[in-house]
Amino acid sequence: MKVLVITFAKEQKLNDNLLNVLSAAKRINRHCDVLILGNADYSRVQELKIVEKIMLFNNVTDATNSATLLASNLAEIVKNYTHTLIAADSYGKDLLPRIAGILDLSQISEVVEIVSPNTFKKPMYAGNILAEVESFEEIKLLTIRTTSFAAYSEAGSAASVEVNEFSPLANDKLSYLGEELVHNDTIDLAHAELIVTGGRSLGSKEDFDKLIHGLAIKLGGAVGASRAAVEAGYASNDCQVGQTGKVVAPKLYVAIGISGAVQHIAGMKDSKTVVAVNLDPNAQIFEYADYGLIGDLFDVVPELISKL
Amino acid sequence: MKVLVCAKRVVDPNVKVRVKSDFSNVEIEHSKMSLNPFDENAIEEAVRLKERGVVTEIVAVSIGSAKCEETLRNALARGCDRAILVESSENYEPINIANILQKIVATEQPQLIMLGKQAIDDDANQVAQMLAGKLGIAQATFVSQLEVNADRLIARREIDGGTQKLELTLPAVVSADLYLNEPRFIKLPQLMQAKKKPIEKIAVAELGLELNARTRLVKVMDGEVKKQCKFVDSSSDLLDLIKKGAM
Repeated sequence: MKVLVITFAKEQKLNDNLLNVLSAAKRINRHCDVLILGNADYSRVQELKIVEKIMLFNNVTDATNSATLLASNLAEIVKNYTHTLIAADSYGKDLLPRIAGILDLSQISEVVEIVSPNTFKKPMYAGNILAEVESFEEIKLLTIRTTSFAAYSEAGSAASVEVNEFSPLANDKLSYLGEELVHNDTIDLAHAELIVTGGRSLGSKEDFDKLIHGLAIKLGGAVGASRAAVEAGYASNDCQVGQTGKVVAPKLYVAIGISGAVQHIAGMKDSKTVVAVNLDPNAQIFEYADYGLIGDLFDVVPELISKL
Repeated sequence: MKVLVCAKRVVDPNVKVRVKSDFSNVEIEHSKMSLNPFDENAIEEAVRLKERGVVTEIVAVSIGSAKCEETLRNALARGCDRAILVESSENYEPINIANILQKIVATEQPQLIMLGKQAIDDDANQVAQMLAGKLGIAQATFVSQLEVNADRLIARREIDGGTQKLELTLPAVVSADLYLNEPRFIKLPQLMQAKKKPIEKIAVAELGLELNARTRLVKVMDGEVKKQCKFVDSSSDLLDLIKKGAM
């Protein structure tokens, strides 16, 4: 078995969730190769026990780091492995299925458990159902739900490094017009150990900022939002937790005025401890919470903020 | 410009799906079915492009049993011009859906192919990218804003940490995010009109494809993790628990 893990670098930094994908790779084989798209300091990855070889494609820039431009080149490399793994983030979800299409292979999305090298568990129906799927493909392509695997940390001897280039990447199909990244005054949702999430019942962007951001800052956590809150314009799209937004699993998840629609639960149910505040004692969120307070968030949250 | 849109028939998003007693699959036989919500967004955007005069024809395609006709009528009522039903009793996995769509694309020659970014049943999020890869044309996935002109489009994509803008040369594949638009409600006259629009039926065997299963569903389990909530009465008690939980 030969396992390949694909990751990327942005602003000269490797994606942190690579370590979680490596833990998934370890469930398949003792060794794997890591392919990095973009330029970054890889020394930390080089020292990891599981990593045998690093393939660095450091001429890939933000402007050329797209599935349309890279997938056919990558498909040629993926062919040499029995398994290719990538994080199920917006990058991996865009890239790996295109490679699968080129090679006419199936893909298993959002793997949460490696049962064996050819059998995997993955969520369906917004996480209400967990499916165990056996793959008959000789080349298995998996996107990994990184919240389901711990960060890999075993140290070992230094991996070999191959520096490669794809050429030429420029073509007439696509041009990159830039990115707008949201820089919050709070921590990034994907890596946060504590998340405060607000729902539509906040009623306005002003109150969302004052109460949800306010509490998140006091607690040193990140801000999340339900889809309804995002659609009402209280929070940016990037904050959305749920089936169609982000899947998070922090140590502590504080749900404020969240009703607990299945689509939202799908994004947060793996959180270690869940605390919920809601005026409605029958709100579904309480079925997924460890601790609850039935009360008006407009009373409770200012009290919490003032006591911190 | 011709647009091909895809319409998957899925269990209605408000239905709570249950596991069959033998764990072989989910129990959906008597469930309410709907057009996949993300496909609704893709169709809505195509219709708006037609209303703006950018698009001249919208063809909707669905793959599945005869019941998908209902899903296609919904798409037609939304403003699609005609529909194709690829009939099969099989429930194909994404790679084979992409293989079928590739055949339809070869016949229809659309300039733009629009799908939802994922279906709310298998949550796979694969078909758009697979199809674009097979066709060797540009893709813009998770699109929340779209501008199309004669030979190119500009898409704003939802990515981790924000958004990205790409310019694509047509033909291209676009997968729709929920933020792309607010799909319209269908009114009775449109439903009546939709009944007169043509649905072409193609048996999957006519396409001459080898659609072998690549995976096997071993079993399904309940993914629910309900907890026993302990209620507190005051914000001070709650704060203590928050502090404890954060450690």
